[in-house]
Amino acid sequence: MAAAGQIMAGSSGAFRRKPSLLAWLVFAPLAIWLLLFVILPTGMLVALSFAEQRGLGTIHFTWSLDNYARAFQWTWLKVLLVSVWYAFLTTIICMVLGYPVAYYIGRSGPRTREILLALVMIPFWTSFLIRTYAWITILSKEGLLNTVLMSMNIISEPLTLMYTPFASVLGLVYNFLPFMILPIYSSVERLDGAMIEAAHDLGAGPVRAFSQIIIPLTSPGIAAGALLVFIPSIAMFAITNLMGGGRQPTIGQVIYNQFTAGRNQPFGAALGTLLLIIFILALYLTKRYRKE
Amino acid sequence: MKIKATLIAAAATSLMLIGCGKPAAPTEETPKPESASSPSAAAESAAPDTTEPKRLSIFSWSEYIPQSVIDDFAKETGIKVSVENYASNEEMLAKLMAGGGAYDIIQPSEYVIEALVKEDALHPIDHAAIPNLKNIGPDFLNMAFDPGNKFSVPFMAGTVGIVVNTELVKDEILGYNDVFQDKYKGQIVVLDDAREIVSWAFETLDIPINEVTPENLEKAKPLLQKWLPLVQVYDSDSPKTALLNGDVALGIVWGGEGAKLLQENEKFKWVIPAEGSHLFVDSLAIPKTAKHPKNAELFMNYILRPEVSKLISDEFPYTNPNLAARQLLTPEQLNNPASFPTEEEIKTLKLFKDIGDQASQVDELVTTIKSQ
Repeated sequence: MAAAGQIMAGSSGAFRRKPSLLAWLVFAPLAIWLLLFVILPTGMLVALSFAEQRGLGTIHFTWSLDNYARAFQWTWLKVLLVSVWYAFLTTIICMVLGYPVAYYIGRSGPRTREILLALVMIPFWTSFLIRTYAWITILSKEGLLNTVLMSMNIISEPLTLMYTPFASVLGLVYNFLPFMILPIYSSVERLDGAMIEAAHDLGAGPVRAFSQIIIPLTSPGIAAGALLVFIPSIAMFAITNLMGGGRQPTIGQVIYNQFTAGRNQPFGAALGTLLLIIFILALYLTKRYRKE
Repeated sequence: MKIKATLIAAAATSLMLIGCGKPAAPTEETPKPESASSPSAAAESAAPDTTEPKRLSIFSWSEYIPQSVIDDFAKETGIKVSVENYASNEEMLAKLMAGGGAYDIIQPSEYVIEALVKEDALHPIDHAAIPNLKNIGPDFLNMAFDPGNKFSVPFMAGTVGIVVNTELVKDEILGYNDVFQDKYKGQIVVLDDAREIVSWAFETLDIPINEVTPENLEKAKPLLQKWLPLVQVYDSDSPKTALLNGDVALGIVWGGEGAKLLQENEKFKWVIPAEGSHLFVDSLAIPKTAKHPKNAELFMNYILRPEVSKLISDEFPYTNPNLAARQLLTPEQLNNPASFPTEEEIKTLKLFKDIGDQASQVDELVTTIKSQ
């Protein structure tokens, strides 16, 4: 993540010399990988979005814009907007929760830092489905949380926590929080303490030092974290289905349906292409924000 | 969706492993097939065609053919079996039509068999190689989607019905209209399947379930707009979870899921909706592109053995069309109304037909109402 940030940041002052044969050889595996697994599938997706599916699933390339015309109908736009909204909410909550954690880890001693970082990453050792299922056993009506609250007489009726928008966002935040913490942490770690001291010496209070010195200096981490949380949470539907009950269709689910029960792969591809454009836009905006 | 189911099953199994510290799967040693000296077994061991390589590629629903059954078949015949799973009929069709992988056995539902036969995509089966077809009940042979069973052998059947948690719901529930009442808002789980949901509305409005036209969809829309906001959970993979955890009190689910709930707790009650429901029949078939059709027929015949079919019923309690296997089931299994509807009920159940391009419209209608 940090490396990616450096490449992005360093691209303006690029190293201009004709690359040697060796450089090409070193680059070749990556180039082949990119071609096979990024460029080719994306090209296929975009091409498919101009086709038409007939009968049992044969694809006919009609090169029409019908699928896009349909994608801009309110039903699908609304699904897209809701998904973007959930992802946005998830990103903001992750930022608010993740920043203090990352800051604390980044500023603590090397020993504590190691332990805390390991704790952030330990949940990744198990499948996210297992972790999501664990949440179900905690949040369901006869689950852990409700049982504890009822036995302590805090509530008399079990709360409806599972299968709500709250549960969806909770599941997303829980799963993506480390993607926010880690890049911010790497920015905080490189933060020069002298800068903060200088701010204080020059009369800045804690609020001012934080907003005018610390935040700008750690902004590459914030931007990288936001991107890493925002993009996967738009299309993530396993969590929103399991924890949200699938009541609010999300764009990932809708695209999946087009490729399966909806029997309209080209339309699914058109929605996928639109999503791709949103991702590119998000990437572009983050990059611009960083240049400022 | 079923991909998810597989992952979840894997996840759940690992949870169980962590939980009890010992593997939960293998229950009891199945009798070694070699030692079984029944005449049918002897006849089969003579049958294998040596001209075909000993390989078989199965493309089946996830969570439908127990692994132990496949292992036993491989052990007995020496055929190397590879299995791929799919999550929906449409997913299977997409792969089959794209020509990916030469599958020897597929497991389509009734309306898909009908469509595949129409497209001339299935290999006719040799009844002489499948003597065990005689075990299948007459109700499940010669069905409208494949007259004379020229292309398919029934595997499992089932229906969709209502599960009621009688501790939470005191009123009598007889049909869809009783489930979708304002007072049960937030208490309902239904299958996450647009065609299913629309068919319930059609039944309620007395529209034939297979006449999926834009006009009929328009007619069903107001009813669905009333129903769907009451639903708390959409889940096709494991709708029993929300019912078991007490998060919802009513469910419209697959028969097999219902059967498991009924086994689990007496408070659950099974109801075949008064408005009507449908019967699904999942069969085994051989695609035209199959490389090992003889081995596929061998597998079909193996699956139809009573003792093998019983093992499948034990794990997945759907309606077993194999009458000889039913004799091996316990009275509890046979009396489970979600597994085995009564004769009268079966007579009222309808079969789905292929709706082709309309699938897209059905999906759009349900998505539109859900996101309102």
